[in-house]
Amino acid sequence: MGEALKYSIMDSVRSVVFKESENLEGSCTKIEGYDFNKGVNYAELIKSMVSTGFQASNLGDAIAIVNQMLDWRLSHELPTEDCSEEERDVAYRESVTCKIFLGFTSNLVSSGVRDTVRYLVQHRMVDVVVTTAGGIEEDLIKCLAPTYKGDFSLPGASLRSKGLNRIGNLLVPNDNYCKFENWIIPVFDQMYEEQINEKVLWTPSKVIARLGKEINDETSYLYWAYKNRIPVFCPGLTDGSLGDMLYFHSFKKGDPDNPDLNPGLVIDIVGDIRAMNGEAVHAGLRKTGMIILGGGLPKHHVCNANMMRNGADFAVFINTAQEFDGSDSGARPDEAVSWGKIRGGAKTVKVHCDATIAFPILVAETFAAKSKEFSQIRCQV
Amino acid sequence: MSDEEHQFESKADAGASKTYPQQAGTIRKNGYIVIKGRPCKVVEVSTSKTGKHGHAKCHFVAIDIFTGKKLEDIVPSSHNCDVPHVNRTDYQLIDISEDGFVSLLTDNGNTKDDLRLPTDENLLSLIKDGFAEGKDLVVSVMSAMGEEQINALKDIGPK
Repeated sequence: MGEALKYSIMDSVRSVVFKESENLEGSCTKIEGYDFNKGVNYAELIKSMVSTGFQASNLGDAIAIVNQMLDWRLSHELPTEDCSEEERDVAYRESVTCKIFLGFTSNLVSSGVRDTVRYLVQHRMVDVVVTTAGGIEEDLIKCLAPTYKGDFSLPGASLRSKGLNRIGNLLVPNDNYCKFENWIIPVFDQMYEEQINEKVLWTPSKVIARLGKEINDETSYLYWAYKNRIPVFCPGLTDGSLGDMLYFHSFKKGDPDNPDLNPGLVIDIVGDIRAMNGEAVHAGLRKTGMIILGGGLPKHHVCNANMMRNGADFAVFINTAQEFDGSDSGARPDEAVSWGKIRGGAKTVKVHCDATIAFPILVAETFAAKSKEFSQIRCQV
Repeated sequence: MSDEEHQFESKADAGASKTYPQQAGTIRKNGYIVIKGRPCKVVEVSTSKTGKHGHAKCHFVAIDIFTGKKLEDIVPSSHNCDVPHVNRTDYQLIDISEDGFVSLLTDNGNTKDDLRLPTDENLLSLIKDGFAEGKDLVVSVMSAMGEEQINALKDIGPK
Protein backbone atom coordinates (compact mmCIF):
# COMPACT_ATOMS: atom_id res chain seq x y z
CA MET A 1 0.00 0.00 0.00
CA GLY A 2 2.88 2.31 0.85
CA GLU A 3 4.38 1.40 -2.47
CA ALA A 4 1.22 2.31 -4.41
CA LEU A 5 0.92 5.70 -2.74
CA LYS A 6 4.53 6.46 -3.59
CA TYR A 7 3.87 5.72 -7.26
CA SER A 8 0.82 7.90 -7.53
CA ILE A 9 2.69 10.81 -5.93
CA MET A 10 5.58 10.34 -8.32
CA ASP A 11 3.14 10.31 -11.25
CA SER A 12 1.37 13.46 -10.25
CA VAL A 13 4.67 15.29 -9.63
CA ARG A 14 6.00 14.07 -12.95
CA SER A 15 2.87 15.14 -14.77
CA VAL A 16 3.19 18.64 -13.32
CA VAL A 17 6.93 19.13 -13.65
CA PHE A 18 7.62 17.22 -16.81
CA LYS A 19 4.75 18.48 -18.90
CA GLU A 20 5.25 17.15 -22.37
CA SER A 21 6.19 19.92 -24.88
CA GLU A 22 4.57 20.78 -28.12
CA ASN A 23 6.95 20.16 -30.97
CA LEU A 24 8.14 23.51 -32.48
CA GLU A 25 10.41 21.97 -35.07
CA GLY A 26 9.41 23.23 -38.49
CA SER A 27 6.80 25.72 -37.23
CA CYS A 28 9.16 28.20 -35.55
CA THR A 29 12.46 29.77 -36.53
CA LYS A 30 15.44 28.26 -34.78
CA ILE A 31 17.43 30.85 -32.85
CA GLU A 32 20.84 31.16 -34.38
CA GLY A 33 23.24 34.09 -34.73
CA TYR A 34 25.71 34.97 -37.44
CA ASP A 35 28.90 32.88 -37.58
CA PHE A 36 31.85 35.23 -38.10
CA ASN A 37 33.95 32.26 -39.20
CA LYS A 38 32.21 32.88 -42.54
CA GLY A 39 34.01 36.23 -42.69
CA VAL A 40 32.43 39.68 -42.51
CA ASN A 41 29.48 39.44 -44.86
CA TYR A 42 27.04 42.25 -44.13
CA ALA A 43 24.24 40.89 -46.29
CA GLU A 44 24.38 37.57 -44.43
CA LEU A 45 24.79 39.35 -41.10
CA ILE A 46 21.57 41.28 -41.67
CA LYS A 47 19.79 38.16 -42.90
CA SER A 48 20.76 36.45 -39.64
CA MET A 49 18.89 39.05 -37.61
CA VAL A 50 15.50 37.42 -37.91
CA SER A 51 16.89 34.30 -36.19
CA THR A 52 18.88 36.21 -33.56
CA GLY A 53 15.97 37.05 -31.24
CA PHE A 54 14.57 40.12 -29.49
CA GLN A 55 14.56 43.34 -31.56
CA ALA A 56 16.93 41.84 -34.13
CA SER A 57 14.14 39.40 -34.93
CA ASN A 58 11.58 42.19 -34.99
CA LEU A 59 13.77 44.08 -37.45
CA GLY A 60 14.03 40.89 -39.50
CA ASP A 61 10.23 40.62 -39.44
CA ALA A 62 9.94 44.28 -40.45
CA ILE A 63 12.20 43.62 -43.44
CA ALA A 64 10.01 40.67 -44.41
CA ILE A 65 6.79 42.71 -44.09
CA VAL A 66 8.14 45.63 -46.14
CA ASN A 67 9.21 43.16 -48.81
CA GLN A 68 5.68 41.76 -48.80
CA MET A 69 4.36 45.32 -49.28
CA LEU A 70 6.68 45.82 -52.22
CA ASP A 71 6.00 42.45 -53.79
CA TRP A 72 2.24 42.57 -53.49
CA ARG A 73 0.28 42.88 -56.71
CA LEU A 74 -3.44 42.78 -57.26
CA SER A 75 -2.84 39.73 -59.43
CA HIS A 76 -2.00 37.81 -56.24
CA GLU A 77 -5.64 38.11 -55.19
CA LEU A 78 -8.57 36.40 -56.83
CA PRO A 79 -10.83 38.79 -58.72
CA THR A 80 -14.02 39.55 -56.81
CA GLU A 81 -17.26 38.47 -58.41
CA ASP A 82 -18.51 41.97 -59.05
CA CYS A 83 -15.32 43.39 -60.52
CA SER A 84 -15.26 44.95 -64.00
CA GLU A 85 -13.66 43.59 -67.16
CA GLU A 86 -10.78 46.00 -66.85
CA GLU A 87 -10.13 44.83 -63.31
CA ARG A 88 -9.96 41.23 -64.53
CA ASP A 89 -7.25 42.11 -67.03
CA VAL A 90 -4.09 40.27 -65.98
CA ALA A 91 -1.69 43.02 -67.05
CA TYR A 92 -3.74 45.54 -65.14
CA ARG A 93 -3.83 43.36 -62.02
CA GLU A 94 -0.07 42.97 -62.26
CA SER A 95 0.34 46.77 -62.33
CA VAL A 96 -1.64 47.48 -59.16
CA THR A 97 0.78 47.75 -56.24
CA CYS A 98 0.58 48.45 -52.53
CA LYS A 99 0.26 52.14 -51.65
CA ILE A 100 2.92 53.06 -49.11
CA PHE A 101 2.49 55.72 -46.43
CA LEU A 102 5.75 56.84 -44.82
CA GLY A 103 5.62 58.79 -41.56
CA PHE A 104 8.58 60.08 -39.57
CA THR A 105 9.30 62.56 -36.80
CA SER A 106 11.40 65.69 -37.25
CA ASN A 107 14.45 64.43 -35.31
CA LEU A 108 14.99 61.87 -38.06
CA VAL A 109 15.25 64.62 -40.65
CA SER A 110 17.80 66.34 -38.40
CA SER A 111 19.67 63.03 -38.47
CA GLY A 112 21.08 61.29 -41.50
CA VAL A 113 17.84 59.35 -41.96
CA ARG A 114 16.88 62.41 -44.02
CA ASP A 115 19.08 61.08 -46.80
CA THR A 116 17.43 57.67 -46.66
CA VAL A 117 14.03 59.38 -46.93
CA ARG A 118 15.33 61.46 -49.83
CA TYR A 119 16.40 58.26 -51.62
CA LEU A 120 12.90 56.78 -51.22
CA VAL A 121 11.16 59.93 -52.42
CA GLN A 122 13.65 60.54 -55.23
CA HIS A 123 12.91 57.10 -56.71
CA ARG A 124 9.14 57.27 -56.10
CA MET A 125 9.32 54.34 -53.70
CA VAL A 126 6.69 55.74 -51.34
CA ASP A 127 3.33 57.31 -52.17
CA VAL A 128 2.47 59.58 -49.26
CA VAL A 129 4.71 61.27 -46.66
CA VAL A 130 3.65 62.61 -43.26
CA THR A 131 5.91 64.48 -40.88
CA THR A 132 5.98 67.35 -38.37
CA ALA A 133 7.14 70.96 -38.85
CA GLY A 134 10.75 70.10 -38.01
CA GLY A 135 10.60 67.36 -40.63
CA ILE A 136 9.98 70.09 -43.20
CA GLU A 137 12.22 72.92 -42.04
CA GLU A 138 15.25 70.79 -41.09
CA ASP A 139 15.34 69.43 -44.63
CA LEU A 140 15.31 72.96 -46.06
CA ILE A 141 17.82 74.31 -43.52
CA LYS A 142 20.26 71.53 -44.36
CA CYS A 143 20.34 72.91 -47.91
CA LEU A 144 21.45 76.27 -46.48
CA ALA A 145 23.87 75.16 -43.73
CA PRO A 146 24.88 71.83 -42.15
CA THR A 147 23.86 70.19 -38.88
CA TYR A 148 26.83 68.98 -36.82
CA LYS A 149 27.54 66.07 -34.48
CA GLY A 150 27.80 67.09 -30.82
CA ASP A 151 27.12 65.11 -27.69
CA PHE A 152 24.07 64.29 -25.57
CA SER A 153 25.84 65.61 -22.46
CA LEU A 154 26.76 69.11 -23.69
CA PRO A 155 25.39 71.58 -21.09
CA GLY A 156 22.44 73.64 -22.27
CA ALA A 157 23.43 76.97 -20.71
CA SER A 158 26.86 76.91 -22.30
CA LEU A 159 25.38 75.95 -25.69
CA ARG A 160 22.88 78.80 -25.38
CA SER A 161 25.72 81.26 -24.78
CA LYS A 162 27.43 79.97 -27.92
CA GLY A 163 24.25 80.20 -30.00
CA LEU A 164 24.06 76.44 -30.56
CA ASN A 165 20.86 74.36 -30.36
CA ARG A 166 21.03 70.67 -29.41
CA ILE A 167 18.96 67.87 -30.92
CA GLY A 168 20.10 64.76 -29.02
CA ASN A 169 23.77 64.55 -29.93
CA LEU A 170 23.42 66.88 -32.91
CA LEU A 171 24.06 70.62 -32.95
CA VAL A 172 22.36 73.27 -35.08
CA PRO A 173 23.86 76.80 -34.93
CA ASN A 174 21.44 79.72 -34.59
CA ASP A 175 22.99 81.09 -37.73
CA ASN A 176 21.32 78.26 -39.70
CA TYR A 177 17.93 79.58 -38.64
CA CYS A 178 18.91 83.14 -39.59
CA LYS A 179 19.78 81.87 -43.07
CA PHE A 180 16.47 80.02 -43.11
CA GLU A 181 14.63 83.22 -42.19
CA ASN A 182 16.39 85.17 -44.95
CA TRP A 183 15.41 82.46 -47.41
CA ILE A 184 11.82 81.83 -46.44
CA ILE A 185 10.38 85.29 -45.75
CA PRO A 186 10.51 86.37 -49.43
CA VAL A 187 8.85 83.04 -50.33
CA PHE A 188 6.04 83.77 -47.86
CA ASP A 189 5.74 87.29 -49.32
CA GLN A 190 5.32 85.79 -52.77
CA MET A 191 2.80 83.22 -51.53
CA TYR A 192 0.86 86.01 -49.84
CA GLU A 193 0.76 87.95 -53.12
CA GLU A 194 -0.62 84.86 -54.86
CA GLN A 195 -3.25 84.47 -52.16
CA ILE A 196 -4.37 88.06 -52.69
CA ASN A 197 -4.02 88.33 -56.47
CA GLU A 198 -4.69 84.79 -57.70
CA LYS A 199 -6.96 83.71 -54.84
CA VAL A 200 -4.71 80.74 -54.00
CA LEU A 201 -5.91 78.97 -50.86
CA TRP A 202 -2.79 77.46 -49.33
CA THR A 203 -2.82 74.19 -47.40
CA PRO A 204 0.20 72.79 -45.51
CA SER A 205 0.90 70.29 -48.30
CA LYS A 206 0.69 73.01 -50.97
CA VAL A 207 3.05 75.20 -48.94
CA ILE A 208 5.46 72.27 -48.57
CA ALA A 209 5.40 71.49 -52.29
CA ARG A 210 6.11 75.16 -52.99
CA LEU A 211 9.04 75.18 -50.54
CA GLY A 212 10.38 72.03 -52.23
CA LYS A 213 10.17 73.80 -55.57
CA GLU A 214 11.85 76.95 -54.27
CA ILE A 215 14.72 75.15 -52.51
CA ASN A 216 15.60 73.52 -55.86
CA ASP A 217 18.31 71.29 -54.32
CA GLU A 218 18.79 67.63 -55.11
CA THR A 219 19.89 66.84 -51.55
CA SER A 220 16.41 67.81 -50.30
CA TYR A 221 13.65 65.20 -50.03
CA LEU A 222 11.08 68.00 -50.35
CA TYR A 223 12.56 68.97 -53.71
CA TRP A 224 12.08 65.40 -54.94
CA ALA A 225 8.61 65.17 -53.43
CA TYR A 226 7.68 68.30 -55.39
CA LYS A 227 9.26 66.94 -58.56
CA ASN A 228 7.68 63.51 -58.25
CA ARG A 229 4.35 64.91 -57.04
CA ILE A 230 4.47 62.92 -53.83
CA PRO A 231 2.27 64.72 -51.27
CA VAL A 232 3.93 65.63 -47.98
CA PHE A 233 1.39 66.24 -45.22
CA CYS A 234 2.14 68.19 -42.07
CA PRO A 235 -0.93 69.25 -40.09
CA GLY A 236 1.36 70.67 -37.39
CA LEU A 237 3.18 72.95 -39.82
CA THR A 238 3.29 75.86 -37.37
CA ASP A 239 4.92 73.89 -34.54
CA GLY A 240 8.54 74.76 -35.29
CA SER A 241 10.77 77.42 -36.77
CA LEU A 242 8.33 77.56 -39.69
CA GLY A 243 5.66 78.62 -37.21
CA ASP A 244 7.97 81.27 -35.79
CA MET A 245 8.47 82.62 -39.31
CA LEU A 246 4.73 82.58 -40.01
CA TYR A 247 4.15 84.38 -36.73
CA PHE A 248 6.55 87.17 -37.67
CA HIS A 249 5.16 87.28 -41.18
CA SER A 250 1.65 87.81 -39.79
CA PHE A 251 2.78 91.14 -38.32
CA LYS A 252 4.04 92.28 -41.69
CA LYS A 253 1.02 91.31 -43.76
CA GLY A 254 -2.02 90.88 -41.57
CA ASP A 255 -4.21 93.58 -40.05
CA PRO A 256 -4.80 92.62 -36.39
CA ASP A 257 -7.83 94.94 -36.19
CA ASN A 258 -9.43 93.49 -39.28
CA PRO A 259 -8.46 89.81 -39.31
CA ASP A 260 -11.59 88.97 -41.29
CA LEU A 261 -10.73 91.48 -43.98
CA ASN A 262 -6.98 90.92 -44.05
CA PRO A 263 -5.75 87.95 -42.04
CA GLY A 264 -2.32 87.81 -43.70
CA LEU A 265 -1.13 84.50 -45.15
CA VAL A 266 -3.82 81.83 -44.65
CA ILE A 267 -3.02 78.11 -44.45
CA ASP A 268 -6.07 75.84 -44.49
CA ILE A 269 -5.70 72.56 -42.61
CA VAL A 270 -9.15 71.30 -43.60
CA GLY A 271 -8.13 71.15 -47.25
CA ASP A 272 -5.29 68.87 -46.25
CA ILE A 273 -7.25 66.48 -44.04
CA ARG A 274 -9.50 65.95 -47.01
CA ALA A 275 -6.52 65.32 -49.27
CA MET A 276 -4.79 63.06 -46.72
CA ASN A 277 -7.86 60.93 -46.03
CA GLY A 278 -8.49 60.91 -49.77
CA GLU A 279 -5.11 59.26 -50.26
CA ALA A 280 -6.38 56.33 -48.18
CA VAL A 281 -10.01 56.32 -49.36
CA HIS A 282 -9.06 56.50 -53.03
CA ALA A 283 -6.40 53.82 -52.78
CA GLY A 284 -9.06 51.73 -54.52
CA LEU A 285 -7.97 48.20 -55.24
CA ARG A 286 -4.48 48.85 -53.94
CA LYS A 287 -3.51 47.54 -50.54
CA THR A 288 -1.99 50.09 -48.18
CA GLY A 289 1.13 49.77 -46.08
CA MET A 290 2.38 52.04 -43.33
CA ILE A 291 6.01 52.55 -42.38
CA ILE A 292 6.17 54.82 -39.36
CA LEU A 293 9.38 56.00 -37.72
CA GLY A 294 8.92 57.50 -34.26
CA GLY A 295 5.62 58.39 -32.61
CA GLY A 296 3.45 61.43 -32.10
CA LEU A 297 1.60 63.16 -34.89
CA PRO A 298 3.08 61.39 -37.92
CA LYS A 299 2.26 57.96 -36.45
CA HIS A 300 -1.31 58.81 -35.63
CA HIS A 301 -1.99 60.81 -38.77
CA VAL A 302 -1.01 57.93 -41.04
CA CYS A 303 -3.01 55.40 -39.00
CA ASN A 304 -6.04 57.69 -38.77
CA ALA A 305 -6.19 58.20 -42.52
CA ASN A 306 -6.06 54.45 -43.04
CA MET A 307 -9.06 54.07 -40.75
CA MET A 308 -11.05 55.70 -43.57
CA ARG A 309 -10.50 52.60 -45.68
CA ASN A 310 -11.13 50.16 -42.84
CA GLY A 311 -7.47 49.83 -41.95
CA ALA A 312 -4.08 49.33 -43.51
CA ASP A 313 -2.95 45.93 -44.76
CA PHE A 314 0.67 46.19 -43.63
CA ALA A 315 2.18 48.15 -40.74
CA VAL A 316 5.76 48.55 -39.61
CA PHE A 317 6.40 50.78 -36.60
CA ILE A 318 9.94 51.63 -35.55
CA ASN A 319 10.18 53.53 -32.27
CA THR A 320 11.33 53.25 -28.67
CA ALA A 321 8.17 54.62 -27.03
CA GLN A 322 6.42 52.53 -24.38
CA GLU A 323 2.70 51.85 -24.19
CA PHE A 324 2.10 52.00 -20.43
CA ASP A 325 1.17 55.70 -20.36
CA GLY A 326 -1.56 55.18 -22.94
CA SER A 327 -0.03 57.60 -25.44
CA ASP A 328 -0.42 56.51 -29.05
CA SER A 329 3.31 56.97 -29.62
CA GLY A 330 4.09 53.73 -27.80
CA ALA A 331 1.01 51.79 -28.83
CA ARG A 332 1.66 48.48 -30.59
CA PRO A 333 -0.06 47.82 -33.92
CA ASP A 334 -2.72 45.75 -32.14
CA GLU A 335 -4.10 48.90 -30.48
CA ALA A 336 -4.62 50.40 -33.94
CA VAL A 337 -6.43 47.20 -34.94
CA SER A 338 -8.98 47.92 -32.20
CA TRP A 339 -9.69 51.31 -33.81
CA GLY A 340 -9.97 49.91 -37.30
CA LYS A 341 -6.80 51.71 -38.40
CA ILE A 342 -5.10 48.42 -39.21
CA ARG A 343 -7.02 45.41 -40.56
CA GLY A 344 -7.42 42.38 -38.35
CA GLY A 345 -5.50 40.09 -40.67
CA ALA A 346 -2.79 42.64 -41.45
CA LYS A 347 0.91 41.89 -41.28
CA THR A 348 2.31 44.08 -38.54
CA VAL A 349 5.41 44.51 -36.41
CA LYS A 350 6.78 47.07 -34.01
CA VAL A 351 10.56 47.28 -33.86
CA HIS A 352 11.63 48.72 -30.51
CA CYS A 353 14.73 50.43 -31.83
CA ASP A 354 16.16 53.84 -32.64
CA ALA A 355 15.13 54.39 -36.26
CA THR A 356 18.57 55.83 -37.09
CA ILE A 357 19.90 52.27 -36.67
CA ALA A 358 16.97 50.23 -37.91
CA PHE A 359 15.65 52.23 -40.87
CA PRO A 360 18.76 52.38 -43.09
CA ILE A 361 19.19 48.61 -42.59
CA LEU A 362 15.52 48.06 -43.39
CA VAL A 363 15.79 50.14 -46.58
CA ALA A 364 18.98 48.36 -47.61
CA GLU A 365 17.21 45.00 -47.45
CA THR A 366 13.97 46.14 -49.04
CA PHE A 367 13.58 49.27 -51.21
CA ALA A 368 17.24 49.61 -52.17
CA ALA A 369 17.58 45.92 -52.94
CA LYS A 370 14.62 46.20 -55.29
CA SER A 371 15.66 49.49 -56.90
CA LYS A 372 15.72 47.94 -60.38
CA GLU A 373 12.12 46.75 -60.09
CA PHE A 374 11.06 50.21 -58.98
CA SER A 375 12.46 51.85 -62.05
CA GLN A 376 10.39 49.42 -64.15
CA ILE A 377 7.12 48.91 -62.37
CA ARG A 378 6.20 51.64 -59.96
CA CYS A 379 6.85 54.49 -62.37
CA GLN A 380 4.00 53.28 -64.57
CA VAL A 381 1.43 53.54 -61.81
CA MET B 1 3.91 102.98 -52.62
CA SER B 2 6.82 104.99 -51.29
CA ASP B 3 7.29 106.87 -54.57
CA GLU B 4 4.00 108.61 -54.20
CA GLU B 5 4.74 109.60 -50.64
CA HIS B 6 8.10 111.03 -51.51
CA GLN B 7 6.68 113.24 -54.24
CA PHE B 8 4.11 114.58 -51.88
CA GLU B 9 6.71 115.20 -49.25
CA SER B 10 9.06 117.12 -51.51
CA LYS B 11 6.27 119.53 -52.40
CA ALA B 12 5.26 120.09 -48.84
CA ASP B 13 8.60 120.34 -47.06
CA ALA B 14 11.06 121.21 -49.80
CA GLY B 15 12.81 117.87 -49.53
CA ALA B 16 12.90 117.47 -45.77
CA SER B 17 12.28 113.86 -44.86
CA LYS B 18 9.24 112.98 -42.80
CA THR B 19 11.09 110.08 -41.24
CA TYR B 20 14.63 108.95 -40.57
CA PRO B 21 16.03 105.41 -40.26
CA GLN B 22 17.05 104.00 -36.89
CA GLN B 23 18.18 100.51 -35.97
CA ALA B 24 15.30 98.62 -34.35
CA GLY B 25 17.46 97.45 -31.45
CA THR B 26 18.15 101.06 -30.39
CA ILE B 27 14.52 102.21 -30.27
CA ARG B 28 13.38 102.50 -26.65
CA LYS B 29 10.12 102.87 -24.82
CA ASN B 30 8.63 106.39 -25.23
CA GLY B 31 10.52 106.79 -28.51
CA TYR B 32 8.77 107.09 -31.86
CA ILE B 33 8.35 104.57 -34.67
CA VAL B 34 6.39 104.21 -37.91
CA ILE B 35 4.12 101.16 -37.95
CA LYS B 36 2.01 100.45 -41.03
CA GLY B 37 2.66 103.98 -42.27
CA ARG B 38 1.46 105.61 -39.05
CA PRO B 39 3.60 107.68 -36.66
CA CYS B 40 3.48 106.04 -33.24
CA LYS B 41 4.84 106.41 -29.75
CA VAL B 42 6.40 103.23 -28.38
CA VAL B 43 4.78 102.00 -25.16
CA GLU B 44 6.41 98.60 -24.89
CA VAL B 45 9.55 96.97 -26.31
CA SER B 46 10.55 93.35 -25.81
CA THR B 47 13.47 91.68 -27.50
CA SER B 48 14.27 88.05 -28.23
CA LYS B 49 17.82 86.92 -28.90
CA THR B 50 18.88 85.10 -32.03
CA GLY B 51 17.60 81.54 -31.88
CA LYS B 52 15.51 78.91 -33.56
CA HIS B 53 13.23 81.69 -34.74
CA GLY B 54 16.11 83.26 -36.69
CA HIS B 55 17.53 86.74 -36.22
CA ALA B 56 17.13 88.62 -32.91
CA LYS B 57 13.80 90.43 -32.93
CA CYS B 58 12.28 93.51 -31.32
CA HIS B 59 8.59 93.42 -30.55
CA PHE B 60 7.03 96.90 -30.40
CA VAL B 61 3.68 97.90 -29.00
CA ALA B 62 2.97 101.51 -29.94
CA ILE B 63 0.16 104.06 -29.99
CA ASP B 64 -0.67 106.11 -33.08
CA ILE B 65 0.10 109.65 -31.93
CA PHE B 66 -2.89 111.08 -33.80
CA THR B 67 -5.61 108.45 -33.53
CA GLY B 68 -4.56 106.73 -30.28
CA LYS B 69 -4.87 103.36 -31.97
CA LYS B 70 -2.65 100.53 -30.68
CA LEU B 71 -0.34 98.95 -33.25
CA GLU B 72 2.18 96.11 -33.02
CA ASP B 73 5.24 95.18 -35.03
CA ILE B 74 8.10 92.70 -34.92
CA VAL B 75 11.36 93.70 -36.59
CA PRO B 76 14.78 92.01 -36.71
CA SER B 77 16.84 94.10 -34.26
CA SER B 78 19.58 94.81 -36.80
CA HIS B 79 17.13 96.17 -39.37
CA ASN B 80 16.36 99.85 -39.71
CA CYS B 81 12.95 101.17 -38.74
CA ASP B 82 11.42 104.41 -39.95
CA VAL B 83 11.19 106.90 -37.12
CA PRO B 84 8.96 109.95 -37.65
CA HIS B 85 10.17 113.50 -37.07
CA VAL B 86 7.74 114.71 -34.43
CA ASN B 87 7.51 118.46 -33.78
CA ARG B 88 5.54 120.49 -31.29
CA THR B 89 4.70 124.16 -31.81
CA ASP B 90 2.70 126.43 -29.56
CA TYR B 91 0.24 128.92 -31.01
CA GLN B 92 -2.13 131.37 -29.45
CA LEU B 93 -5.77 130.57 -30.16
CA ILE B 94 -7.53 133.48 -31.86
CA ASP B 95 -10.84 132.08 -32.95
CA ILE B 96 -12.99 128.97 -33.29
CA SER B 97 -15.18 128.93 -36.39
CA GLU B 98 -18.56 127.25 -36.55
CA ASP B 99 -17.34 124.52 -38.89
CA GLY B 100 -14.86 123.31 -36.27
CA PHE B 101 -11.75 124.98 -37.65
CA VAL B 102 -9.54 127.13 -35.46
CA SER B 103 -7.57 130.29 -36.13
CA LEU B 104 -4.10 130.31 -34.62
CA LEU B 105 -1.54 133.11 -34.36
CA THR B 106 1.90 132.18 -35.65
CA ASP B 107 5.21 133.56 -34.43
CA ASN B 108 5.55 135.88 -37.42
CA GLY B 109 2.14 137.40 -36.87
CA ASN B 110 0.23 135.51 -39.56
CA THR B 111 -2.76 133.29 -38.89
CA LYS B 112 -2.91 129.57 -39.38
CA ASP B 113 -6.44 128.47 -40.25
CA ASP B 114 -6.10 124.90 -41.51
CA LEU B 115 -6.49 122.96 -38.24
CA ARG B 116 -9.62 121.46 -36.81
CA LEU B 117 -10.49 121.23 -33.16
CA PRO B 118 -9.13 118.03 -31.57
CA THR B 119 -11.33 114.96 -31.42
CA ASP B 120 -10.34 114.09 -27.86
CA GLU B 121 -13.42 115.08 -25.86
CA ASN B 122 -11.66 116.27 -22.72
CA LEU B 123 -9.33 118.52 -24.63
CA LEU B 124 -12.15 119.68 -26.86
CA SER B 125 -14.34 120.82 -23.98
CA LEU B 126 -11.40 122.47 -22.24
CA ILE B 127 -10.68 124.53 -25.35
CA LYS B 128 -14.31 125.36 -26.08
CA ASP B 129 -15.13 126.27 -22.49
CA GLY B 130 -11.94 128.26 -22.01
CA PHE B 131 -12.52 130.16 -25.23
CA ALA B 132 -16.14 130.85 -24.29
CA GLU B 133 -14.97 132.23 -20.96
CA GLY B 134 -12.68 134.56 -22.87
CA LYS B 135 -9.46 133.10 -21.51
CA ASP B 136 -6.13 133.55 -23.28
CA LEU B 137 -5.34 130.09 -24.62
CA VAL B 138 -2.18 128.64 -26.13
CA VAL B 139 -2.53 125.31 -27.94
CA SER B 140 0.26 122.91 -28.60
CA VAL B 141 0.24 121.42 -32.10
CA MET B 142 2.00 118.17 -32.80
CA SER B 143 3.09 117.43 -36.35
CA ALA B 144 4.54 114.32 -37.95
CA MET B 145 4.57 112.85 -41.44
CA GLY B 146 2.51 115.66 -42.94
CA GLU B 147 -0.22 115.47 -40.31
CA GLU B 148 -0.94 118.03 -37.62
CA GLN B 149 -3.20 117.97 -34.61
CA ILE B 150 -3.81 120.01 -31.50
CA ASN B 151 -2.75 117.77 -28.68
CA ALA B 152 -2.48 119.98 -25.59
CA LEU B 153 -3.73 123.21 -24.10
CA LYS B 154 -1.91 125.81 -22.04
CA ASP B 155 -4.10 128.21 -20.12
CA ILE B 156 -2.17 131.48 -19.73
CA GLY B 157 -4.84 133.20 -17.73
CA PRO B 158 -7.77 135.52 -18.48
CA LYS B 159 -7.63 138.17 -21.13
